[in-house]
Amino acid sequence: MDERENGFIQKHDLLGCIQCGRCTGGCPVTARSGLNVRGILRGALDEDLLQSLAGLPEIWDCTACGNCSLRCPKGLKPLDVLVALRSILVEGGVIQPSVRDALESIFREGNPWDKPRAARFDWRRDLDLKVVGPGEAVHCLVFVCCTVAYDPRLQGIAGNLGRLLNYAGVHYGFMEEGETCCASEAYCLGEEGLFEMMVEDNSELLNSYSASRIITISPHCYSAFKNQYPQLRAEILHYTELLAELLREGKMELNRELKERIVYHDPCFLGKQNGVFNDPRFILQQLPGAELVEFERTRERSLCCEGGGGKMWVESESRGERLAAVRVREAKMLGAGVLAAACPFCLLTLEDAVKAEGWEDEIKVAEILEIAGGLIQE
Amino acid sequence: MDIFVCIKRVPDTSEAEVSVDESGKEVDSSRFSFDINEADNYAVEEALLLKERLGGTVQVVCVDCGDVETIIRMALAKGADGAIQVNDGRVNVKDPLVIARVLAAVIGQHQFDLVLTGCMAGDDGYMTVGAALAEELTLPCATMVKNVEPQGGRLSVCRELEGGLLEEVDIALPAVLTIQTGINEPRYASIRGVRQAQKKEIKVLKIEDLEIAEEEAAGGRSSVEMQELYVPEVASRAELIEGEPAQKAEVLAGKLVKGGLL
Repeated sequence: MDERENGFIQKHDLLGCIQCGRCTGGCPVTARSGLNVRGILRGALDEDLLQSLAGLPEIWDCTACGNCSLRCPKGLKPLDVLVALRSILVEGGVIQPSVRDALESIFREGNPWDKPRAARFDWRRDLDLKVVGPGEAVHCLVFVCCTVAYDPRLQGIAGNLGRLLNYAGVHYGFMEEGETCCASEAYCLGEEGLFEMMVEDNSELLNSYSASRIITISPHCYSAFKNQYPQLRAEILHYTELLAELLREGKMELNRELKERIVYHDPCFLGKQNGVFNDPRFILQQLPGAELVEFERTRERSLCCEGGGGKMWVESESRGERLAAVRVREAKMLGAGVLAAACPFCLLTLEDAVKAEGWEDEIKVAEILEIAGGLIQE
Repeated sequence: MDIFVCIKRVPDTSEAEVSVDESGKEVDSSRFSFDINEADNYAVEEALLLKERLGGTVQVVCVDCGDVETIIRMALAKGADGAIQVNDGRVNVKDPLVIARVLAAVIGQHQFDLVLTGCMAGDDGYMTVGAALAEELTLPCATMVKNVEPQGGRLSVCRELEGGLLEEVDIALPAVLTIQTGINEPRYASIRGVRQAQKKEIKVLKIEDLEIAEEEAAGGRSSVEMQELYVPEVASRAELIEGEPAQKAEVLAGKLVKGGLL
């Protein structure tokens, strides 16, 4: 047993587990996977079993939604146990090629998508946006997630945030240089060493910018900065918090009409894990002509879309129905014409599910920034 | 089994826009990401798998004066025992025969059982260094290797040939194999492993450290000279033949006969 496995029980306080089953009862992927968090916590009491537990294929079905940790009455963090098991495999070097490639790409190019570092800012070519450099005082420094920076489907989201901030007269700036992966997904995939390295490098970089606030586009960057980057000096906000503030203070008005029934899907890393439930809804409630409806499973009980926890790079062995497919079916039953997301991963998984069902003409999956960006008159 | 693996750092051009720089002889690589050559990565893994089965050592060799420390450290983190970098700007790295001679000068200084290279470089695609290296070392060589089975003091290797054919070859050691991608699944080098690999030595050599004349390493005997690099012209010269199938066939046959192809 290697050194890191020693003390596994103490590190994760496994003797505190009372096997109540709240974790498994709230785990969204049990609907389509053999993942049994309760069983894993029990099994991990025998440290000789850690290697075989790590070898269970369903370890990779976890989406890191955090529900197990939220529901644990003893305050344990089953999610961290799963991540630690993944890390045993990562340190041994034997992982799925897609996971290996994503991690190597984060290390080499600062993004998990195997895209050149030099192309990070291509999305903002020819756009009228403010850019700030290190040391330059700025109120809101915008941090663009890798997926938004490189995925052509999502690049417009960042541009829309810039347009909205221009419109509202916010003192903001996108990063002039150095922007790189927040490594939240590296953490979830079990690459603790890479995560620690990125936290160190990013903290130094972000602190070199004289920003009062860091505005994130992805809830995954948001949650990482807020909870796993103790050295950051600036206040961390998700863009929905900033836009809601601007609307409340009358600094921005969404003045074009949108006659749609909209249902909002809570991203796990924004809602469950950080309690941001009201601000995205507040923004959607300000859309003239729109009607906001709610899923039956909403807010803390919201159904995960399976986009997090490194799942963008892991193919599950399960052939069960994807949770995103369940989610879009629920949206259709509500008669929603727009399924609103506030996370790049949610947007991609939900949109894929809509396409798989062939419902593109009935339901549009849209980021809140896409919706709000289209409703201002500049 | 003591193994040398030759690795190269190449740009990833899979999704990048490729353009020629002002010299007209180089690809503009300013916006590329770089990584270990794909086939070389499989060669590293195959060496490590053989070491795990048979014992011995794995040494990585790289002829490049650029930023190759990361790819070398990653190979060391995966389990290679040591590395040699020929870091000398005088070496004409554009000529695969020169690279083969420099590699032979490095590897020839040591005792070894096997040399592995990737079957092809992702940038120039010459597929030459491995075979030329075997020639320089006066060793048997098998190219495009898809499987390696040790048998006593020899190897049984499976080669991938044109048209999907596979060839089994029995080869005496020491030998040079050029490894085809897909032979194994390269492992991941964790960052903790890469950091621990800082303790392993990367020996840096210059031309003077090798039994090779400076003129030869600089490409004095080189028969390769890059004259011009250009993006193929996109042109539309296709002729669409209209009509019923029988008519179309007749017209086509006429054209082929006229063109001397039939």
